[in-house]
Amino acid sequence: VSGLHRLGTPRRATVHAGPGGVPTTVGRTRVEAVNEDWVVEDRWWTGRPLRRRYFELVMVDGRNVVVFLDLVSGRWFSQRG
Amino acid sequence: MVICVLLARFALVAALGERRALLAEPVALAPEAGGPQIVGEVSAAAEAFGVQAGMRLGEALARCPGLRLVPPDPDGVRSLWSELLDRLERIGASVESDRAGQAFFEAAGLTGIHGGNLEGVLASTRRTLAGRDLGGAGRGARIGVAPSRFSAYAAALRARPRRAAEIVSAGAVRAFLAPLPVRLMRSRPELATLPETLERLGILTLGELAQLPAPAMAERFGHPGLLALDLARGRDTPLQPRRPAEPVVERLALPEAASGPQLEHALVLLIARLLARPERRGRSMRSLTLSARFVEGGTWRAPVTLRQASADPDRLRIVLTPKLSELPAPAESIAVEVEAFGPPAREQARLLDERGSVESRRERIGEAVRQARQAAGSDAALRVLAIDPDSRLPERRAVLAPFPAELSDGEERRR
Repeated sequence: VSGLHRLGTPRRATVHAGPGGVPTTVGRTRVEAVNEDWVVEDRWWTGRPLRRRYFELVMVDGRNVVVFLDLVSGRWFSQRG
Repeated sequence: MVICVLLARFALVAALGERRALLAEPVALAPEAGGPQIVGEVSAAAEAFGVQAGMRLGEALARCPGLRLVPPDPDGVRSLWSELLDRLERIGASVESDRAGQAFFEAAGLTGIHGGNLEGVLASTRRTLAGRDLGGAGRGARIGVAPSRFSAYAAALRARPRRAAEIVSAGAVRAFLAPLPVRLMRSRPELATLPETLERLGILTLGELAQLPAPAMAERFGHPGLLALDLARGRDTPLQPRRPAEPVVERLALPEAASGPQLEHALVLLIARLLARPERRGRSMRSLTLSARFVEGGTWRAPVTLRQASADPDRLRIVLTPKLSELPAPAESIAVEVEAFGPPAREQARLLDERGSVESRRERIGEAVRQARQAAGSDAALRVLAIDPDSRLPERRAVLAPFPAELSDGEERRR
């Protein structure tokens, strides 16, 4: 719709994942703890299915960051909830 | 080169404390209070009876009726292990350790200050671990040296306690790993189940695994498969040394019958004392650990990471209180320790309540919107429009929509 800007659109992120695919750094900031992780599968009935593995992370600098791995393209994105 | 220091049965040794001589007899760590009824680490004498760590208590006692059970002491393990790591750091090592009894560090930066060669570093490591003040806890260390974390671990397993370190050069690492069983990868939590699958497929050694093509491993096992392949080929992820700890602990001895409300009061007091500690330097708290020492012996720890770092006593109390109900036995003391600090606390209460200011605030907002739109066009003021607030996908929940003129002047005033 013209004139509307979506909020919380995913942005490409540089994420280094450690063992088990769990992020260890986002950009240059280290991850302190993983609060939660979950998988979202949607639009599986369409030609463009959506599969994401989300992580809610606590960074060493105190920020809370949500990133996800697009399981279709294998790319990492950050997202604001 | 990576140096691996392995101390077998470290949790048992730490729990025995002064009674370390009991290691010569069949002893095992008792099941953790409130946890599953399985024994923890066991002595070599108990192993001779067929008792193994992780075995159900009933079976362990059936195999070895004379088995002595020692209450686990996670607090003691942590402090003794952190003392050992501190000592290693004192010789200049940047130590990585995810598990008590296992430490890794790079030798590269240390040779210059320990005689110019690897032997000098190893001698210093041995000396520092054998310190008398540790009660001999570090004397039985096995030391392995190899180009990566995993190969150093494998080398340390082959080394004998108190003897020379097992050293594997970069050129020989694949040949060294080749005959070793894939089971060895169980030491990595992320690969705990992979060896069983590999064995079922007939891949029994790391050498056989190393010959498999990477795309096939990736397709069949995903990321863990590629990691396993790297390990088998003598590579590993870089070490992640621990950050120096800043131990800030507050402990409170409890009267004998301390229960629900009394424990909560004790917790409030501990939080207040923790917040008053000068080491905090105004910082908020990111991660805390509630621990207890039981009347009957043994200890218990419950770590808590806050969603948002805080220095608000009420918020800390709300987060920690539910953990009190998990206390599995009567405690003689409880403690709260700061595991990690967050950024400086900026949450401040308002000095004065702005009563009666709602109307004036609306007027100010309306005026600000009008001025912003005059200066920068209609897109200067947008409003958040909830479309599908319960969507699982954040980008579908809301959009920014232009602020219609009648809303900025009218609706906004009505709100």
